[in-house]
Amino acid sequence: MSVSDLGRTAVAVAATGATAGAAENKAVDELIAHVRDESDTVRTDAWRNAGEVGAPAVTPLAAVMANEALEVARAAKRALWQIVRHSGRPGADVERKAVIAELIPLLADEQPGPVRREVLWMLSEIGGGESVEPIASVLSNKELREDARMALERIPGEASLDALEAALEAAPDDFKLNLAQSLRQRGVEVPGLPCVKLAPTKQTKVTPWTPADAQPETTAKG
Amino acid sequence: MKQPIQLSRRAFLATAGGAISVPYLIPGGVRAAEGKPGANERLTIAVIGVGGMGGHHLRDLKRFQRSGEVHVAAVCDVDEERLASAVKTAGAGVDPYRDYRYILERDDIDAVVIATPDHWHAVQTVHACECGKHVYVEKPACCTIEEGQAMIAAAQSNKMSVQVGSQGRSQHEAYLAHRYLANGAIGKVHTVTCFHYPSPTDDNPVPDSDPPAELDWDLWLGPLRWRPYNKRYCHGVFRWLMESGGGQIRDRGAHVMSCAMYWMNADGTAPVTIETTGTSPTKGLWDSCVNMNVTYTFKNPDWTLTWNQPGEPVPQEERTEGEPQISRPGYGAVYHGDNGTFVHWGGDGGTWAERKCREWTPPAGAIEVYESPGHKEDWFNGIKTGAKTIMNIEAAVGVADLCNLGNLSYILGRKLNWDGAQRRVIGDEAANRMLGRPQRHPYHS
Repeated sequence: MSVSDLGRTAVAVAATGATAGAAENKAVDELIAHVRDESDTVRTDAWRNAGEVGAPAVTPLAAVMANEALEVARAAKRALWQIVRHSGRPGADVERKAVIAELIPLLADEQPGPVRREVLWMLSEIGGGESVEPIASVLSNKELREDARMALERIPGEASLDALEAALEAAPDDFKLNLAQSLRQRGVEVPGLPCVKLAPTKQTKVTPWTPADAQPETTAKG
Repeated sequence: MKQPIQLSRRAFLATAGGAISVPYLIPGGVRAAEGKPGANERLTIAVIGVGGMGGHHLRDLKRFQRSGEVHVAAVCDVDEERLASAVKTAGAGVDPYRDYRYILERDDIDAVVIATPDHWHAVQTVHACECGKHVYVEKPACCTIEEGQAMIAAAQSNKMSVQVGSQGRSQHEAYLAHRYLANGAIGKVHTVTCFHYPSPTDDNPVPDSDPPAELDWDLWLGPLRWRPYNKRYCHGVFRWLMESGGGQIRDRGAHVMSCAMYWMNADGTAPVTIETTGTSPTKGLWDSCVNMNVTYTFKNPDWTLTWNQPGEPVPQEERTEGEPQISRPGYGAVYHGDNGTFVHWGGDGGTWAERKCREWTPPAGAIEVYESPGHKEDWFNGIKTGAKTIMNIEAAVGVADLCNLGNLSYILGRKLNWDGAQRRVIGDEAANRMLGRPQRHPYHS
């Protein structure tokens, strides 16, 4: 049975209730095993078909994202993205909310930075009002605050806008312009904080060419 | 020539923290003076991004400089080694910059050629238009639907001439093909099938590392979300990452489908459905499709466009000595009409039409179509006269939208029903959220 088949089984069986947990566990275990497989083809097949395995696989996959084996970690990340995008499809609101509920705890301080960063972007694609406060809490982290700002900018609705405005009030000076950028993108005027997009800041050490730079021509001899 | 200012007042304010107290850091005075350069006036041009295609453009502009049509005033790159090499190519009197915004400050510069990685195209085009510079920007025009809309708005509101580098439209045999199809030589065309060899795979992936000393990685990434440097994600190979290059469909698709939209008289229209299947690389950082099939359906008039990697490549035709030889037969398109088919190979700087088209003689009263004098010449004409360029920003964004929607359907794994007038995916809010992406501060349009 392929991972894809297992995913479908898990979804179908879930409707019957009694054996849902067992089927989900089996699908998740199979997915994780295949994502960790040594074979490039097995890993790829696993992550490509991970979408239907859904919310139960979110936390286990996040753990594998920290795997030392580069390709295993990458396959886990891609599987997680497949789940996020599958759950965002039209008419899958219950699945989407279940995935969001699993993603939010992965923003916690004890999670690895690369996982938290990825989860911010995942929530930016499918998150709603329930995601706003957890994302806003990451704005205090200097390493991740820019990703958190962009995630909030992308999530529609008043809650994310309110969070950006509140963050601007409390932000340190070196982050205010970033937040102002998001607010302007959302159509809010931000007096007193200029847009710096056209202000150059980086200078080159390369100097203009002059005729003196020309190499003297060598004459072939012999 | 006015001397460039290496540390502007605005930059000083920004770096000194004085910006916080200044309401608007970008005065309207940064815009160029109203009016177009005269027909005989020499254009002063800068090249932003001088590796790869940028190097080609710099050499090409030197050709126009020798004939007195342009003056190359500045070059720019975030890679100091590439910049140093470009300075040597450019010759005396050309100023080097790392940060393109110094170029935009100069009011002696009329126009810029932008040949940076794809993820910079939209931001730099918008900024250049806002600063009163005409733009030649490499294809694809943009990486997202929203970026494209920002480019159109900036070009229109600032009345700037923008040419996008899908130069296939300006090739002689493209003109012949356009004329052939426009006159119904194969009847009403109902299907166009593009073919292209698959995207490469990364067989030697490497971990992230520190960027090389000569590269400003922050400026290279620009509007993209932060990520560590990786050798498989930089010059040239950025093409194989979705967020930046978008794979073959956004590279060559922006050429081959540009020809299709132009020859089908479909600029300004959009498909109503987009459906993609594809295969992924089995390892490595690159994530664009290896094999790919995209079907676009158009309505009123009804026709179908498909992008196929590899599809069914058509063997190149034999050409006699003295005829332009087909040097890139691995991609092109087949046009299926009620009364026959037509094939072209290439679609970019090399566009080759099937013999029967090249030998076709227009009958009396035949429809004539525009023959471009050359892609840059057409742009220069646009700058000086205000005429629409052959690959104007509206048309180019339409083609880039095809590429981007094809990739979006693949990423989401579902068919998209597209409302071209509203530029929204019908009934799919998650897809609509992906029509744009937030941009990293301060590199935003």
